[in-house]
Amino acid sequence: MENVSMIFCGLGGQGILFMTKIFARAALDKGLPTLGAETHGMAQRGGSVVSHLKLGPAASSLVREQTANFLLALEENEAYRNLPFLAPGATLYVNAETDVFPRKEVSPYMEKQGITYHAFPAQKTAMALKNPMSTNLALMGFFAAYENEPFTHDELRETIISVSPERFRENNLKVFDAGFEFQQ
Amino acid sequence: MKQEIFLGNGAIALGLMEAGCQVMTSYPGTPSSEILPEVIRLVESENLNTYVEWSTNEKVALDNAFAAAISGKRAACCMKQVGLNVAADSLMSAVYMGTVGGLVIISCDDPGPHSSQTEQDTRFMARLAKIPVLDPATPEEARKMAGLAMELSEEFRIPFIIRPAIRVCHARQDLAWDKLMNNPKKASFEKDPGRWAATPRFRFILHGELNKKLEAIGERFSDLSDINYHNLEEGKRYPLGIIAGGVPFAAIQDILADEKRDHIPLLKLGAPYPLPKRLTDEFMEACDKVLVLEETDTLIEYLLGDNQKIFGRISGHVPSEGELLPQVIFDCLNKILVELKLEPFTGKGNTGVTELVQDLGLPIRKPTLCPGCPHRASFYTIRKARPKAIFTSDIGCYTLGLNLGAVDTVLDMGAAITMASGFYHAYKQDGVDQPVVATIGDSTFYHSGTAGLLNAVYNDARFILVILDNLITAMTGMQPTPGIGIRADGSKGKAIPLERVIKGCGIDFIKEVDPYDTKAMGALMKEATQHVASPDGGIAVIIARHPCAIAYRGEAVPERIPVEITDDCTECNLCLDRFECPALYHDETLGRTSVDQALCAQCGVCLQICPEGAIVRSAEA
Repeated sequence: MENVSMIFCGLGGQGILFMTKIFARAALDKGLPTLGAETHGMAQRGGSVVSHLKLGPAASSLVREQTANFLLALEENEAYRNLPFLAPGATLYVNAETDVFPRKEVSPYMEKQGITYHAFPAQKTAMALKNPMSTNLALMGFFAAYENEPFTHDELRETIISVSPERFRENNLKVFDAGFEFQQ
Repeated sequence: MKQEIFLGNGAIALGLMEAGCQVMTSYPGTPSSEILPEVIRLVESENLNTYVEWSTNEKVALDNAFAAAISGKRAACCMKQVGLNVAADSLMSAVYMGTVGGLVIISCDDPGPHSSQTEQDTRFMARLAKIPVLDPATPEEARKMAGLAMELSEEFRIPFIIRPAIRVCHARQDLAWDKLMNNPKKASFEKDPGRWAATPRFRFILHGELNKKLEAIGERFSDLSDINYHNLEEGKRYPLGIIAGGVPFAAIQDILADEKRDHIPLLKLGAPYPLPKRLTDEFMEACDKVLVLEETDTLIEYLLGDNQKIFGRISGHVPSEGELLPQVIFDCLNKILVELKLEPFTGKGNTGVTELVQDLGLPIRKPTLCPGCPHRASFYTIRKARPKAIFTSDIGCYTLGLNLGAVDTVLDMGAAITMASGFYHAYKQDGVDQPVVATIGDSTFYHSGTAGLLNAVYNDARFILVILDNLITAMTGMQPTPGIGIRADGSKGKAIPLERVIKGCGIDFIKEVDPYDTKAMGALMKEATQHVASPDGGIAVIIARHPCAIAYRGEAVPERIPVEITDDCTECNLCLDRFECPALYHDETLGRTSVDQALCAQCGVCLQICPEGAIVRSAEA
């Protein structure tokens, strides 16, 4: 596998750090060198939050613009805000209604750059399962339905099992599975 | 061997524990806050004997660690960069006196800034104090430097500073680790008044000693090929070289590799002060021009001093504020390549995406107080009770009271109180009775509230002080305070109630209220106003006490009150502008305000504020 660079974004409180942790831990379990950067502090109080993650050998924890392979966005506007990170041919996953994403202004750019996108109402899915704070897990499940690299569905699911505190484990899996099954 | 993903701050903790650090003190502050909890985690899991404390402020932390270090132990002290300002008095003196054991000060910088008042560069503070400084590029290097700094500190008997920037502190990296050191060294302080209580005459001698140490350390730094090194080929001349330290070094490495430009020589300065002159001279001589990449100021540029040769901030090639993000470095270097008529980068040029995103008019995401936050209720009531007051405030979550129009000034830790007395006297001098309401958090009050309050009482200032007591240090990640008396490792300490401290400062009006009860707090504000105005009155202190909605999730909202909004809503927007709860929003389709049930904490405070009574308790959430 070549080096993979990922961006996770959304709003403070949506669980971006937990999502980053799952991917980083999955990489560790696979024996991949892992380097990432997170946002802490004031922005966590509802501000724009971005996490960077590089799998494979790298020196800098920050992903440079136009070099990320994946963008996972927990909020639609934050997906647009972080569009400059995506490399040509990259893939974007976003928590948004399928019929509203993307805005028409950005479609030509994404098409020109060969950026693929998959939208899915992750928050609604999490809410329907009475887990409004688990939008992140729904989007991860949705991601797993499309991608086998850098991680397979089973690898991600195993990591969620091992990382989740026991009292949240069952609910976390329920939401992850709902995200995975949304497409299939 | 264990393989684990560490936060940069965890990697620093790991390095300290591998080096047998016996005493660890700190005051929390982003981006440094996780170092101490990570130390505790390692101490507990590996059964180490390290003493760990959250100190009441950074100066207190440094003095405590210093005493351990001059007893022959290995000690560390960590803080954020502006915390080092608080400890500056201690810092400047400690380096003259030197140490016996090791003393490593970790001061975390915040280029950006992401969560700080300034972008100040700790390396300059090190230069001012004449303390050697190390500047890691990655968590792995920060871990290595923690051990190295401890050893060198002990060898040269001088404190060392490590300056990790936020992108090291909050990076995550997989690290392999094995043994930590349970240091058996016993405390043995040897009296030597000429050093440990030196008068100015002896200080002169100590200064000379310090200068000799720095010279020897600079020499050593030229040989530390792990952290200071270059890749020049013997006898070759180069049109352009790059000197980089810290996080920009990691970024430039990736950029040169991506662009296959590894033949541009790179000098890495992991230890920039004292300058490893032998190494830098070698590099400067071999290159016609040199680009200097450092965060956040111009330390290396100043120390090199060759303005003809250097591209950097002084020459205007590198931005003088903000983070040196990989893209910024890429653009800087590419411009220089063009200027020198060297081959420019092949990588993606401007695709117009930045402008495209700018033109989308995306909402600016202001950080806001959390749903259910007791500070929101306090600020709402304070502003309603004293709309014409000057609102001085302080450092913490409650700085965000500015969104509610209830915070006018934020200077530094403790300035809510000192500026309140300053404003009072400035107006009083002109015969004007300007109302002033100061707000400060519990932890910030313990950190540096008392000196200002003593001064204000002593000099007969008049204002209302509201202490926003949420029983935790919230913004930096929920550290305990002296008020609740729980210590860093979770053990029981002696609780020192705010009331006792405030009374000791000479305050006669001290009243507690639960800010969730806006009526009761409003009435108390009136009472306080009268006390402030009364000839034999004085400063009135209100303790607005309610547990943090995040730290004490269950207790904070004892009765869950689901709310909804009826069509009586007239869109006056009072709840959006003066209450600013993230769970309330303008609903375009309904043409009124709505409740985002996913965010609502069901605290029910908003029921008390709607002038139309349009926010009502609902049967079902």
